[in-house]
Amino acid sequence: MIACDAFRRHISPYLDGELLGEDRAEFEAHVSGCAACRESLEAERAVVEAIRRALPLHQAPPELRVWVEGIAARGRPAGPSARRGLRALGHPLVVAASLVACVLAGSALLREPGLRPSAARPSSAPRPAGAFAALAVDTHLRHERGQLPLEVRSEAPAEVSRFFEGRVPFHLTLPDYPVERGETKPYRLVGGRLVAFDGDYSAYVAYHMDDRPISLLVTAAERVRPEGGEAVVSGGLTFHIESRAGLKVITWTDKGLTYALTSDLAVAGNRSCMVCHGSAEERRKLEGL
Amino acid sequence: MLWGRKWSAEARVAEGPEDEGFRAAAVGCLDGLYGFALTLSRDRATAEDLVQETYVRAFAAHRRPGPDENLRGWLFTILVNIWRNERKRRRPEAVADLEAATGGLPSQGPDPHAVLDQREQREAIRSALETLPEAFREVVVLRCVEGFSYQEVASIAGCPAGTVMSRLARARALLRLALAPRASAAPRAPLTLVPGRGGRS
Repeated sequence: MIACDAFRRHISPYLDGELLGEDRAEFEAHVSGCAACRESLEAERAVVEAIRRALPLHQAPPELRVWVEGIAARGRPAGPSARRGLRALGHPLVVAASLVACVLAGSALLREPGLRPSAARPSSAPRPAGAFAALAVDTHLRHERGQLPLEVRSEAPAEVSRFFEGRVPFHLTLPDYPVERGETKPYRLVGGRLVAFDGDYSAYVAYHMDDRPISLLVTAAERVRPEGGEAVVSGGLTFHIESRAGLKVITWTDKGLTYALTSDLAVAGNRSCMVCHGSAEERRKLEGL
Repeated sequence: MLWGRKWSAEARVAEGPEDEGFRAAAVGCLDGLYGFALTLSRDRATAEDLVQETYVRAFAAHRRPGPDENLRGWLFTILVNIWRNERKRRRPEAVADLEAATGGLPSQGPDPHAVLDQREQREAIRSALETLPEAFREVVVLRCVEGFSYQEVASIAGCPAGTVMSRLARARALLRLALAPRASAAPRAPLTLVPGRGGRS
């Protein structure tokens, strides 16, 4: 019989699966007959279980994730500035001409009267849009990878809108554009979910266009002030366009809401955006672009 | 080399573009690395810097773990070495600001009550961990959170496996003390430790 003190040194390796063979059998035999050691074992097991139940303890911030994925995509750091990658995120980015398509899509969508905010609740000064855009990209990527399931799945805008009702601190009604007889909508609403941002929930809405994912993250305008990237003015609104983690993200504010549109659209033309979202009036406004 | 000899001895020379798998696997370690960095530094900005520096060095390294080797251990070793070098330059330990550091924690979920319970659990564990000395925090996170074996923890932490074992036992005993009052004070708290008594005869 080994003394209890010696046995108690085996408690941690036993719980961690590191006590094997005869040592393990001996330990179990002792514990089965020793109430004090059994109590010590259960006490430590309770701590191990408490930690296990609390996992994951930490998750990397979206900005950091975007930075890491960016450097991973490049393979190697771009240079000394890469060491301060988070600060580099705000640098102006070259905007591809194809992004105009996304701008138009966003513009037409936000100009739809159905997207209307409720009275904004009082808040502190809005934050710059960097964190919001990073969150939009992070959420888009996670959803695309199947890591972030939607909480409502429906192609019906009314149903997805109902899901957000009372769950987000603003009113959001997704538009439902009619199509002509025989015409097929080139985009499809997939669903939505809540995403935590700035101490409350924002609305994440997922679409597919030609089987390519497009997403919209929406929050109250008083929380985020769009800025950075390349500013493009259209229809009286200013869109901020930038690239993050290989995706295009556009942020803008309209009628009390701030939006971040994320997609990998590279070659989509203006036609698709206007067909999807634009009324005749909206198309005229966008022709100038 | 900045990482442990065991990892570097197992490393291989990177081979051009086909190391996409390596980079993807490295990105998959991000949450764990960030949590470990936060546990060590107890400061969000420092943790982010540590993680950034870890990835910069990892992706710039000429020798990397092969597909069947321990990439996670290699990355954690890089991080802990960066931290120790950095700490030498700082006289006092970074001021704890764990509340501020929780900004990027998992908070997405459909049920606000479930979110709250999970937050309480995490908060309690994080607060308890914060009370431990760094050497104890280190082994607890590497073993209990990241699931490394004792030998792997020993390699990353740079100490014998026997030391890992004794630190773990002492750390858990301290955690139990730190968690027990909370469990008794808050019946709803998910941290009900079993049994509720002291554990020694």
